[in-house]
Amino acid sequence: MPLPSQTSQPHLAPGCRWGSHAEPQVVLFPEGMIRVQGTGHDILTLCDGQRTVQEIVATLVGRYGAADPVKITEDVCSFLEALQRKRIVDY
Amino acid sequence: MIPNPLALIAEVTHRCPLHCVYCSNPLRLVATDAELSTEEWVRVFREASRLGVLHLHLTGGEPAARADLKDLIAGGRQAGLYTNLITSGLGLSESRLGGLVEAGLDHIQLSFQDSRDKPAKWIAGANGHAYKIALARKIRQLPVAFTVNLVVHRQNLDHIDEMIEFIEQLQPQRMELAHTQYYGWALKNRDTLLPTPQQLENCLRAVEKAQLRLSGKVRIDSVVPDYYARYPKACMGGWGRRLVLIDPSGQALPCHAAGVIPDMRFDNIREHPMEWIWRESAAFQRFRGEQWMPEPCKSCDRRTEDFGGCRCQALLLTGDASATDPVCSLSPNHHLIETVRSAAESDVAQASWSYRTNMG
Repeated sequence: MPLPSQTSQPHLAPGCRWGSHAEPQVVLFPEGMIRVQGTGHDILTLCDGQRTVQEIVATLVGRYGAADPVKITEDVCSFLEALQRKRIVDY
Repeated sequence: MIPNPLALIAEVTHRCPLHCVYCSNPLRLVATDAELSTEEWVRVFREASRLGVLHLHLTGGEPAARADLKDLIAGGRQAGLYTNLITSGLGLSESRLGGLVEAGLDHIQLSFQDSRDKPAKWIAGANGHAYKIALARKIRQLPVAFTVNLVVHRQNLDHIDEMIEFIEQLQPQRMELAHTQYYGWALKNRDTLLPTPQQLENCLRAVEKAQLRLSGKVRIDSVVPDYYARYPKACMGGWGRRLVLIDPSGQALPCHAAGVIPDMRFDNIREHPMEWIWRESAAFQRFRGEQWMPEPCKSCDRRTEDFGGCRCQALLLTGDASATDPVCSLSPNHHLIETVRSAAESDVAQASWSYRTNMG
C-alpha cells in the first residue's frame, strides 16, 4: 500500500472506533486496542473520511504555529501508513 | 494492586447446532433452563464496563441460539463495550444479521471448519459450510468489521494454502488461523488432531508468505500451537489479570477450561457484583501473582511474561494445577509433551472422533 496522497481522505478502518467516554484516548478494534496520545491523537481525530491529507496538515500547521508544512506532511503520511498496515486506518 | 480486566467473554449459551471435535466448551455443559436472562446479562455488561472492561466477546455454544441476541448486543454497546460476536453463522438469517448490526455490533467473527465441504462436515458433525459462505457475502455488505476464523490441525493442514486462499475470497479484514488447543473435546481427540512437525513448518511458511502478500489488505493472526512452542503462552494474559469469562449459568471463571481444576469454587454473578468477583473471588485469586509458583517458574526471568503458562494444561497433563506448564522446555514434566510430539510423527489410524454432544 503506497503512502497517502495530498487528496486522500483518511478514516478509521471498519471495526475500529474510539473508546467511550471512559477511554476517549483509545482506539478499539477486534481483539485489541491502541492508546493514541499527543500528536498522534491530534492527527487521528482529524481523520473523519471527509478532510483530505492537505486539509489535515493545514489544520495542524495552524494549530502548531511556525512548524514546517513539508515536515508535517511527511510525518502525517508515515503515521497513517503505519496505522494502515495495522488495519486501523484506511485512505 | 490488581489491574482491571480488559475483556469479558460471555458464553451466553452452550447450545450449538455443531458438534466440533475440538470444541472449547467444557465436557459438562450448562443446560438451557439454567441460562442467565437478558436483564441479567445486560447488568453484567454494565458492571464490566464500569470495572474497565473494553471488549465484550459474545460466544457460546452458538450465541445465535439465543432469541435475545439483538438485545444482548444492544445492551453491550450501550454499556460502552466494543461488541464482538463469535459465531458459526448458523441461525443467522440475512434480516436477523442486519438487525444485529443496527443494534450496534462492532465485529463479527465467523468460524469455518475447512475450505472444503466434506471435511468441514466431518469435523463439525453437521452441515453448514455452504450456508457460511453465503452468509460471509452478506456480512461484507454490512457496516461491521469481519474476521474469518479457521481452526487448523493434522487433518486439514496439508491444504493450508488452499484454506488461506479460500478465506481471502471471503474478503474479511482479518483472518485467524487458530491451531487447536488441547483442552476439553480436543484433548479427547488429540492423537488425530495434533499436527506433524513437517505440517507445522509448512504452515508457518504459508502464513508468512500470505502475510507479505496480503499486507495492508487482510491481517493474518496465527499463533504457534502450544505443543510446539519452546515456552508456554501467557494463558489468558495471566490468571485473573485481563479476562473474565461468565458461563451460561452466571459462573465467573478466569478461563474457558478452569472448571477442570479440582477444588475450585466459582462464584456466580447472580450472587455477587462483578467487581467483588474480580477482586475477591477465590477462583480469581488462586493463581494470581507469583505466590503459588513452583520452581523453575519462581526464579525464572520469564515468569512476568508467561506467568507459568496454562494452569488447566498443567492439571490435565500432570495432575497438578500448580505445576509448571509442561509445554515449557524448562518443565520437569516436559517429556510428556515430547512423547506426544514424537507420536505425532508416526502415522495414526484413521480418526474415530468423540463428537461434542449437546444437551436435550
